[in-house]
Amino acid sequence: MASFARSSLLRQTLATTRSPLLRQNVGVSQAVAFHASAKKQILPPLPQKLDGTMNDPVPVPQPHPSEGSYHWTFERAVCVGLIPLTIAPFAAGSLNPVMDAVLCSLLVAHSHVGFQAAIIDYFRPQRVPKFYSLCNWLLRAFTLTTAVGLYEFETNDVGVTEALRRVWNA
Amino acid sequence: MASLRSTSRLFAASRPFFRPATFARSYATVEAGEPANASEPPAKMKSFKIYRWNPDTPSEKPTMQTYDLDLNKTGPMMLDALIRIKNEQDPTLTFRRSCREGICGSCAMNIDGVNTLACLCRIPTDTNTESRIYPLPHTYVVKDLVPDLTLFYKQYKSIKPYLQRDTPSPDGLEYRQSPEDRKKLDGLYECILCACCSTSCPSYWWNSEEYLGPAILLQSYRWLADSRDERTAERKAALDNSMSVYRCHTILNCTRTCPKGLNPGRAIAETKKMLASM
Repeated sequence: MASFARSSLLRQTLATTRSPLLRQNVGVSQAVAFHASAKKQILPPLPQKLDGTMNDPVPVPQPHPSEGSYHWTFERAVCVGLIPLTIAPFAAGSLNPVMDAVLCSLLVAHSHVGFQAAIIDYFRPQRVPKFYSLCNWLLRAFTLTTAVGLYEFETNDVGVTEALRRVWNA
Repeated sequence: MASLRSTSRLFAASRPFFRPATFARSYATVEAGEPANASEPPAKMKSFKIYRWNPDTPSEKPTMQTYDLDLNKTGPMMLDALIRIKNEQDPTLTFRRSCREGICGSCAMNIDGVNTLACLCRIPTDTNTESRIYPLPHTYVVKDLVPDLTLFYKQYKSIKPYLQRDTPSPDGLEYRQSPEDRKKLDGLYECILCACCSTSCPSYWWNSEEYLGPAILLQSYRWLADSRDERTAERKAALDNSMSVYRCHTILNCTRTCPKGLNPGRAIAETKKMLASM
């Protein structure tokens, strides 16, 4: 099994390295090809790489609750908390600066966590380490800018809730 | 007299060896030697487009090859069609199959856009449309319809899929369980690890190296939910990181595609709830 799979791995590696040379000789038989094998791809899959032998389990990562269960609980709490906070100011018909501040901070946290999840999903640090950290720093910069902007809007202008109310009634 | 009887039985047992190999191998197909009479119903020809890639010619791109079968002479399931194609049309067609009744999980493949077991998937009787058969999506292909599931099995091994206990049973015989506790395992123990759900999960497509995928997480929850297992805390700690469980975004492709009708999405949700209440 092991030698069999390894030889197939080798073949795939050979296929990726050799194909540009061989492509000139290949003729009409390529007529029915797949779009997935186009020349220009965004992050094409690399040849298969397995750590250890066939019988070794994949390594178990270190427990990291602040990225795992605590993070998930926090994320869900923010999501659930946003629902009443979005409805309450309009339903109650009152403007409360504290409520506005809580709504804005939860919104910033919610969007930050959401975009962070997207970055972790699509840009793996093992595959694109530089782009991964660039995305993370961009996200932090945008989150900070949003937070500062919302603070300015709340303190020097009418605030999010009142702005939405005016747009709705306009 | 007794010896004579035994030899005659031996002879009877060896008789099937003289039958042609084709009859011995094919099943769920109508045998070829039938006389063609006028009352035979008209042929229902359906075309099957099947993914082909040969590792012996790695520079050639994968292609779709079309095979036409008469549905009147084929069994009802996709696996019957594949076996008939392999027996009668193209012996180089490669696929895994074993039990032909949905209990081994060997024949998992992507049929008409859905990951399923070929032996549990009926051939659509509409002969105007063709059926397309691919290997499981986003897997490394060994040949034709055979995916490389090595990483899948390595991940399965990493969750320690066996009962872990330190205290011996009171009677020294078996670890007993109340009917209510046993009921918690219904819908979990039936999983046959065919990898249909994992390979239908977009999160697993992108992050299969670290994310465990729905099938393995369902198995993991099967041991978390087991009342006899005593390493629940360690099992939970092994999952408590950003990649192992929390790449699940409740897309629920797993639950939709499961050929056994199980619910991996629910098992992952229960796992998340267990981890949150740590």
